[in-house]
Amino acid sequence: MDQAVRPRTTSFRRFCGYMAVTAIVALWGCQKQEATPPESRHQTHAVPGQVPRVQLIAPLPQGEWHLPTGDYANTRFSPLDQITTTNVDQLKVVTTMSTGLNRGHEGSPLVVGDTMYVVTPYPNNLIAVDLSQPGGAMKWLYEPRPDPRAVGIACCDVVNRGASYADGKIVYNTLDAHTVAVDALTGKEVWRTRVGNIEIGETVTMAPLVIKDKVIVGNSGGELGVRGWILALDLKTGEEAWRAYNTGPDEDVRIGPDFKPFYDKDRGQDLGEKTWPGDQWQLGGSTVWGWISYDPEQDLIFYGTGNPGVWNADLRIGDNKWSVSIIARRLEDGMAKWAYQISAHDAWDYDEIMENVLVDMEFGGRMRKLLIHPGRTGFVFVLDRETGELLSAEKFQPVNWAHGYDLKTGKPDEDPSKRTGYGKVVRNICPSSTGAKEFNPSAFSPRTGLLYIPAHNTCMDYEGIEANYIAGTPYLGADVRMYPGPGGYQGELMAWDPVKAKPVWSVKEKDFPLYSGVLATGGDVVFYGTMDGWFKAVDARNGAELWRFKTGSGIIGNPMTYLGPNGKQYVAVYAGIGGWMGAVAFPSVSADDPYAALGVVGAMKEIKKHTAPGGMLYVFGF
Amino acid sequence: MSSASERAGGAGSAVAGLLALSVWIAAAQPTPAATGTEAPPRSVPAKTTIGPVPGADNRAPTADNPLRGDDGVLRDGRRLFVLMNCAGCHGGRAGGGMGPSLRDEVWLYGDDDAQIFDSIAQGRANGMPAWGTQLPEREIWKLVTYIRSLRTPQEPDAPRN
Repeated sequence: MDQAVRPRTTSFRRFCGYMAVTAIVALWGCQKQEATPPESRHQTHAVPGQVPRVQLIAPLPQGEWHLPTGDYANTRFSPLDQITTTNVDQLKVVTTMSTGLNRGHEGSPLVVGDTMYVVTPYPNNLIAVDLSQPGGAMKWLYEPRPDPRAVGIACCDVVNRGASYADGKIVYNTLDAHTVAVDALTGKEVWRTRVGNIEIGETVTMAPLVIKDKVIVGNSGGELGVRGWILALDLKTGEEAWRAYNTGPDEDVRIGPDFKPFYDKDRGQDLGEKTWPGDQWQLGGSTVWGWISYDPEQDLIFYGTGNPGVWNADLRIGDNKWSVSIIARRLEDGMAKWAYQISAHDAWDYDEIMENVLVDMEFGGRMRKLLIHPGRTGFVFVLDRETGELLSAEKFQPVNWAHGYDLKTGKPDEDPSKRTGYGKVVRNICPSSTGAKEFNPSAFSPRTGLLYIPAHNTCMDYEGIEANYIAGTPYLGADVRMYPGPGGYQGELMAWDPVKAKPVWSVKEKDFPLYSGVLATGGDVVFYGTMDGWFKAVDARNGAELWRFKTGSGIIGNPMTYLGPNGKQYVAVYAGIGGWMGAVAFPSVSADDPYAALGVVGAMKEIKKHTAPGGMLYVFGF
Repeated sequence: MSSASERAGGAGSAVAGLLALSVWIAAAQPTPAATGTEAPPRSVPAKTTIGPVPGADNRAPTADNPLRGDDGVLRDGRRLFVLMNCAGCHGGRAGGGMGPSLRDEVWLYGDDDAQIFDSIAQGRANGMPAWGTQLPEREIWKLVTYIRSLRTPQEPDAPRN
C-alpha cells in the first residue's frame, strides 16, 4: 500500500482510525467513533518494497509521530518516501528553535496534527510548535518546574528521552521522578504523579510508552543504589495500576505461576532476592531507563534492565537478578512472562536497557517472532519473543569480556581474566561501561531487513574500590577510565543482518562514539548524527553518504520524520551535546582527569575542540 | 513496597561490611544517614560570604584552614573524597561529572579555603549535599586541603594521562 505519499488529510484520517477518539481529535475534525482495534497486520503493516521474509507487527507512524520509539515495535522506521536517496541532497533547514538550554538533548520531538512537541532536558519544559506557521511559531510553553535537587543526583547529565502522545495528552517524565500528562491542545496540566523519590537518588529520564490505557514508566539511579522498577499509570488519571521491581522477592518482581523463563539459569523462586548477599537487592539497581517495546498480539511489553548496584561486583556476590536482563511482562497487570539474564553478576556496568526491536522474520528456515537487542555487552542478541529462547548472539564490536554465547544454556563464555573485582586493576576490557552501544536507539527497515546500529568502540581499565552507601549520593565502588578501542575509530553506523548475524555494510566515525539514534525511511534513507554535530543521510542499502549538515552542537538526539501541514515530508532532530559521554563537552568537566564523569573523559577528551553545548531543534525539508 | 527505612536497613548491612574494610576511618566518620540512625547535627561555623558585603565596613568574616600546608592530611582528604562519594559526583580525580570539576579555575562559590569549607558544610544549589550534618569540622578541612592540592605536585593519587 502506498500511504506514504498520500496527502496529509488521508494520513490523518488513518490516524483517527488507529486511536481511541478523543476530544482533541474530535476538535480537529475526525468523525466521532468508537476505538478501533488495529487492522489486521497484513493490511496495516505492509510497506511498499518490503522484503518477503519480514513482517512488521505494529502500526507504523503514518505522517505523524506519536511515540518516542516511532512505533510499538521500536523499528524507528517511517514509510514516508518523498525524501529519497536521489533527492536527499536537496534538503535544507526550514526551521530552527533554541531551547535555551545547554545540557544534553536526547530523544526526539513528537508531531500530532499540525503541532510539534519538544521536551527539553531539565527543567523538562514542553514546547508546542505550530507547524502551520512560517518557521514554526510557539503555541504554548508548559513548565513543570521539577525539584532542582534532582540535578545533583542525575548520574549522566540531566537528559530526557521524550514523550508519548495519546488520548489528547502529551505524557512524559520529569527529572525529579514525576510523570506528567499535559493537554495537547491547551498546554494545561491534566495530572502529575510522583513515581519515585529523589531523596534516595531516583530520577526518571526515560520516555514513557503509552499503550492502550497504560503509561509505562521506569526509573533511573543505578549509580546511586536505587532499586529498579517499572510501573503502569492509568492514562486518564495518572493513578498507579501496577509496579514491578526488578530485584527482590517474586511478589515484588510480579513473578507468578505464569513465569516461564527459557533457561534453567533463570528459573527458581525469589531469585531477585536470593541471588544477592543479604539485603543488597534493596540497593541493587537494575533500573529501566531505556526503551519499552510492545507486541499487540501477545499483549506483552519488553524491556531491558540496567547494571546491578554497586559497580564493585565483589560487594554483591551472586547472579544479581534481575539486573542486565530482558524481561517480558503482561501489559494488563505487569506479571512477568519470561526473563533472560544476559550477564549474571555483571562486573563492568553493562546496563542492557537498549531497545528491543520486535519483528517477525524468517529465521532458521521458518518465520519466527523475534526480539532483536543490540547490546551494550557488544553482542546482538536475537531471541524468540514468545519464549525468551536465545537464537543467536554475535559480536558487533571489539569484545573481550566473553568469547561468545552458548545457545543451549543461554550463558556467555567469559574470559575470567577480564572479570573485575575488589582491589585489582583489570586493563583493556572491551567494550567499556558505555558499551558497544549506548541508549541511543537503532532503526530497522522492512525494505532491507537490516538493523541500523549506532555503535561505540571504547575499552577501559576498571578497579573495584570501596563503596559507601549514603542515600542520595553516588554508590559506585569502582575507579574506571575509558579510552578508544582498537582499530582507529570510536563510532560506527552498522547495517546488521539479524538473521545472518553479520554486518552488511558500515560507516566508521573516527573521532567519537555514535550517540544519536537512527531513523530509517521508506525512501531508503538512513539518518543519524555525530557528537561533533554532523547530521548525515546515508543510503540504506550500501551506506553511501548522500548528504550532511553541520548543526550548532553535537547530536545525541533521535531523528524523526513527519508530513507537514502542506503534505510534504520533513526530518527533525535535536542538536545539543551532553549525556554521559557528551558531558565532557561541558565547561564543568575537566579534560585532565580521565576518571571524571564516571570514567568517560579518557575517551572523550578531544570533544571540547569539536563542539560546545547548546540545545536546538532543527527541521529539514525541501 | 520499599519504604525509605526498609531500604536504609538493607543499606546498613551492606555498608557494615564495607566499613570493616576501612576501619581506620570509621572512628572519624559519623554514621551515614543511610544506616537509619540520625547523625547528631554538627555546629557548622559560618566562615565567610559568597556575595559582596554591603556597607562601609565590607570585611567579610574569615576563618583560617587549621590544616593549611599540612601535607600529612592530603591522603586522608583523598580517602574521604572517595569514601563520602565526592568522587562519584565530582569525578575520580575531581575532574567533574554529575557535579562540577574542582580541578579547573572556576569556583562558583569562591576559592578561599573557608569558602570551600562552606560549600562542603552547607551544600549548594542543584544538589550539593550539606555535609556539615555528617562530617566533623576537621574532616571537612581535610577535604578542603585535598581539594586545594589538586593539580599541584602534592596531589595524592594524581591522574595519569
